[in-house]
Order: sequence, then C-alpha cells, then structure tokens
Amino acid sequence: MKESLLEILCCPLDKHDLELEDAEYEENEVVSGTLICTECGERYPIEDGIPNLLPPDMREGTPA
Amino acid sequence: MNEGRDDVRATYDRIATHFAATREHPWPEVETFVADADPAGAGLDLGCGNCRHAELLAERADRVLAVDLSRGLLETGRDRAGERGFGIDPIQADASALPIASRAVNLATYVATLHHLPSRAARIGSLDELARALAPGGRALVSVWATTHDKFANERGDEAGEEGFDTTVDWTLPDGTVVGRFYHIYAPAEFEADLAESSLAVEEVWTAKGNCYAVVTPEQKRP
Repeated sequence: MKESLLEILCCPLDKHDLELEDAEYEENEVVSGTLICTECGERYPIEDGIPNLLPPDMREGTPA
Repeated sequence: MNEGRDDVRATYDRIATHFAATREHPWPEVETFVADADPAGAGLDLGCGNCRHAELLAERADRVLAVDLSRGLLETGRDRAGERGFGIDPIQADASALPIASRAVNLATYVATLHHLPSRAARIGSLDELARALAPGGRALVSVWATTHDKFANERGDEAGEEGFDTTVDWTLPDGTVVGRFYHIYAPAEFEADLAESSLAVEEVWTAKGNCYAVVTPEQKRP
C-alpha cells in the first residue's frame, strides 16, 4: 500500500480520517501495519500490502 | 444481511484463480466509456475482480483504486497489474460501506458487482456510496445482469422479464466442483428505479446483451 493512499481512504463506518500505526515498509510501500479511525478508534489491518477495510462484522472468517 | 455477502466473498476467494483466468478481456462497453472519458485524477474499479477494467482506467487516471470484497481476487488483480505494468491501489472493502473519502473519485466503473448484494437496501446504499465518493463532474459506469439475458429465459416468471428476482448461479471449477454465487437479476425498469432512489443522477441508461448499463454522476443538488 502506498502511504499517499491515506489521503483518499477513510473509515468505512463513519467516513472519518485514518491514521497509520506500526507500519513496516518495503521499497516505499507499506506491507503491514494498522489503520486506525481518528474518530471511532476502529482498527483495520494491512495484510501483505492490501488494506482490509471491511466493516468489523464482515471481517470474521477472513483468511489470515 | 452479512451472511449473503460473506458467502459471495468465500465463493470468490475459492474460485479466484480460475475465475480470473476466464475473465481475460475487458467489456467493449467499458472500453468505450473509458475511451470517451477525460483524463482523471483518481479512478475507481468497484468490484475489480482481476482488474481487467482497472487496467483500462489506468490509461486515463493518475491512480486507480481497485476495490473488491474478495482478497483472493485482489491478489489476481495485483498479479495482472505486475505482469502488464499498470499501477493499482488494491483495497479490500464492501461496496455498501466504501472506505473512500467523499468526492475523491473522478472516474469509476462498477461492473457486474451490484447484483451480488443481497438486498435492495444494500444495493441502493451502495449506489449512494458511489455517489458520495464521486467528485463533482465525476462519472461512473454501472452494470448489472438483466432479466433479458438468455441465461434466465427459463427462470423469469414472465416472458417480458419485467420482474427482477434472486437466484444462485453456479460456477464449475476445473475439478468439477460446483460453487454457487448469489445474484439479484435486475428487470430493466427496476434498475432505473433503484438508480432513481439513490443519490446518483443518471446521464444515460440502456440494456444490451443481457445487461443493464447506466452512466451516472453525483447529484448536483446534494449538500
């Protein structure tokens, strides 16, 4: 995930901005980390470079 | 409500590699829509699958948001982008709860995806989300399977295909395993009604080759 994507992404629930935490980088891309909603605090994982921004109730059963 | 979508996701995760390999070429309708579009800042392929339409958008847009419910399909899309040398930003998300900032998107395709959402409320909610994500002046092409498709000649209750219906469409894997996918098959008039109910403005709507299409923009009267 390119870090510049943060300017376009938002929380799927309340549409507020996201902050990036615990980011690990490879060749200028974020390969893992957590996106956290600045309003509701919901946490969304970045898995192998792809942000998983499914609402939490749809995240159950997501293959690790 | 989420059970239906979880099933669709699980199915696409399971069939992703085979499905992507059989979806090599973009649709001519999408090629025309993108070819006619002005250069765009941000493109969005909603329900991107293997990114065959994101590939077209990448010729017009500075960056392309490739959104899908299925992580398996997103990985096939990322592979295609790498092999063919176009850029995408893959994002796993639900089309009814888009994690995309309001007015961030200039050009979008939402092709053969809306019909997988399990209820009318979810489908209209998803069209509202597309309207929210589109910037003023932004445009999108939406398509769904229609009752007029030859495939449903025996399923539709009336010959004219005036009633939409829910159904399961099987996918057969190379090993013979059959996997079902939920679809809501749209009657053309119903497609127009759902668009009218949403916050999208319709520029053009038509039915061709068993699909309903619409070119849409965000409604200008929105606050």
